[in-house]
Amino acid sequence: MNIIFVLIPLSLVLVALAVWAFFWSVNHSQFDDLDTPALMPLSDETSSGPADADSKSP
Amino acid sequence: MPALTCFHCGEPVPGDPALFARVGALDHPVCCIGCRAAAEWIASLGLQDYYRLRDALPPRASAIGDYSAWDRAQLQRMYVHQRGDGDAEVCFLLEGLRCSACSWLIERAMSAMPGVRETGVSVPGKRVRIVWQPQRVSLSALLVAIAQLGYVPHPLDRQSLSDVIEHEQRAALKRLVVAGLGMMQAMMFAIVLYAGALEGIETSTRDFFRWIGLLVTIPVVFYSARPFFAGAWRELRGRRPGMDTPVAFAVALVFVASIVETLRGGAQVYFDSASMFVFLLLGGRYLEMRARHRATDVVDALARLQPAVAQRLGANGALESVGVHELQIGDCVVIGDGATVPADGELTSAQCRVDESLLSGESKALVRQRGEQLIAGSIVVDGPAQMRVMRVGADTTLSAIVRLVGRAQQQRPRWTRHGERAAAWFVSALLLATAATAGTWLVIDPSRAFAASLAVLVIACPCAFALAVPAALARSLTVLAQRGVLGLTPNAIEGLVRANYFVFDKTGTLSERSLELAATQPLAQTPAEVCLQIAISLEAGNTHPIANALRAAAEHSGTAPAQNVRSVDGGGIEGEIDGERYRLGRPAFALGFDAADSDSIVLANRGGALARFELRETLREDAATTIDELRDAGAGIEILSGDSPARVAAVAVRLGIERFEARVRPERKLARLAELRAGGATVAVIGDGVNDAPALAGADLAVAVGGGAELAKSSADIVLAGDRLGALLEARRVAVATVRIMRQNLVWSVVYNASSVPLAALGWIPPWLAVIGMSLSSLAVIVNSLRIRAVAAPRAAAQAPAAASKLAAVPA
Repeated sequence: MNIIFVLIPLSLVLVALAVWAFFWSVNHSQFDDLDTPALMPLSDETSSGPADADSKSP
Repeated sequence: MPALTCFHCGEPVPGDPALFARVGALDHPVCCIGCRAAAEWIASLGLQDYYRLRDALPPRASAIGDYSAWDRAQLQRMYVHQRGDGDAEVCFLLEGLRCSACSWLIERAMSAMPGVRETGVSVPGKRVRIVWQPQRVSLSALLVAIAQLGYVPHPLDRQSLSDVIEHEQRAALKRLVVAGLGMMQAMMFAIVLYAGALEGIETSTRDFFRWIGLLVTIPVVFYSARPFFAGAWRELRGRRPGMDTPVAFAVALVFVASIVETLRGGAQVYFDSASMFVFLLLGGRYLEMRARHRATDVVDALARLQPAVAQRLGANGALESVGVHELQIGDCVVIGDGATVPADGELTSAQCRVDESLLSGESKALVRQRGEQLIAGSIVVDGPAQMRVMRVGADTTLSAIVRLVGRAQQQRPRWTRHGERAAAWFVSALLLATAATAGTWLVIDPSRAFAASLAVLVIACPCAFALAVPAALARSLTVLAQRGVLGLTPNAIEGLVRANYFVFDKTGTLSERSLELAATQPLAQTPAEVCLQIAISLEAGNTHPIANALRAAAEHSGTAPAQNVRSVDGGGIEGEIDGERYRLGRPAFALGFDAADSDSIVLANRGGALARFELRETLREDAATTIDELRDAGAGIEILSGDSPARVAAVAVRLGIERFEARVRPERKLARLAELRAGGATVAVIGDGVNDAPALAGADLAVAVGGGAELAKSSADIVLAGDRLGALLEARRVAVATVRIMRQNLVWSVVYNASSVPLAALGWIPPWLAVIGMSLSSLAVIVNSLRIRAVAAPRAAAQAPAAASKLAAVPA
């Protein structure tokens, strides 16, 4: 049973990590627009214009 | 007839396509030079996939304006935010931003510009935020690039950069997720404790799990539940207890009691109850907030109407572009062809025609002579015109209209206040019941006092009650949005159900802003069809409504354009075909003498009149069926329009509407609405113009038809974004269903509370069961609300599939 005293704090650390990751993604606009990104992969298979390379750089 | 449509904007291509855009090694027909430029520029960036991905057509690309004034430091100070690292940041409202493909296109095109660091497009907000390096690219270059894509950019002032709505949405999402994760953890540990209570558990292990439970509940209470505490504090200070007060009380009580129990090793802790409670409430609020944020604000609309830049005539006679806020009374400004008048003033050039349809609803361009007034926000049709500025800023007529809107909005009866009063009553009763339970049990059996009063507080928490209305509303707003109807205020649904008198605006609402040829009447030997061909030849290359109407009526086109074509201001057009001179236009112009003033135009040659073309406004496709169905439902129908009596009467007769009033000013509209409402009617106003804005705000229900001025939308309860009037009927049916569901929800939550509170007060319900009961009752409310869906009308059933397939066809 003593293993529980290790596993439970460990699970709390994981939850804390998940919350941190979620906050990070919210603050970086990952949840602001949920429609547009769905279209992104559709375009990459054909387009090979110069815009491609530029859009990836910040 | 499958007419050719423009590759870029989808509008019909007039006559034989003379213009082609080369995209992807193919020539596609386009309707105008602007569209060709837009299509080829998009292709040159390698972005032709846009045409495959878009699911809504862009607006027709217009001629690209002059944006050089935006490089002036004085103007930039108001609109551009200088960041610490040398980059600059600006936010535009984009007219014409419609779908996700648009945002994709803009992001790609912007990132192809040198010096642009970051582009963020928000489709729901119609905004784009750009961070760029000012030393590498100028703001005007960015604006031109956006305009080339076919969008009209309106820079928004610096305050809109710190987007309040975005901040609120992000914070709510974070709170919700923290509460959710906290709840899962707390429940997990609570299950151990419940199992331990049944099977036996060591005291030290039990205390360990209690402390862990406390640990995971701390963020839920102190972070996620903070809005409830803040709200309760506000409500108590204002002595008006609302929904937040019992929630804050319950959360604080449960949390503090659980800590006390943990410290003294008592019988029961309730950390799971506390966090579940917070999570469920936040979930409901999140849904409600999302629906609320669909509303657009007045600031956006003003940015659109009032031009930011004016062309000022300097002392030395040279033109300079200046910001509108720099204009002084007495300045001389030049207004170009198709430009918006920047301030109220007096015309100093000889004559011009202005389109005041946004302000007055008058669909005809009005002729203004030297010395007459021009109103800010109206459009000069045949510029350039010169004007001396008389009133600026807050003194203009446009600002007065905006103030009228504000006042009318305040006059609106607030449903919310009723809701708050009911909640305050409910909450006070709840707190009393809790106190009574605690007091009674303290006399009978003090050891059970806490558990019983806690159960009362939790089980009677107006959770289901609080969710009953917002859950149904949120669901119906989603359903409506899928049908192209945006409900912007909580009044929308209520108003749709109750409205029994419908007041329509004419221009842009019942009729479209285009004309159609009603009849061709030959006046001489020449047959009608030949006359029409001559008229089309004369108008070749013109795109104004009359020319479009003539072209649309012709069975075949392809006659050669006329030679030596000359257009005469306010009169008509003159030209030569096969050596013969023709005139086409108002009778006064074509024949040289005045005939009865109507919407007809006359074709004449030297020998006299050849034919008369009678034009009329094109009615919206579904205007007739919508009016018929409303009439069948027993609703009163009336037209109030700012347009001329003849035109209003013509439309009213065609639709079979008996009551109509023409040349109505905004004040008169408000008065008429007040009259109708005093007579007991619940009035819905359907309109689109800015002149309707006060009327819209003064109605019980304000409906704006899409494509209209943004200002009207911002004071509207409902926007028919799909541009279909018939959507109003669908919305009405959804609203009726919503109110039914809402009533069921309210009945259920009241019955639940009424039956469970006595049991809890008697001490028969332990707090954990109270929490489950509360959750289940809320869940029942939510599931019930999901039953709201779009229902086809029995009568319109035949048309509904057609409309649906039309919608479905667009993305393909």
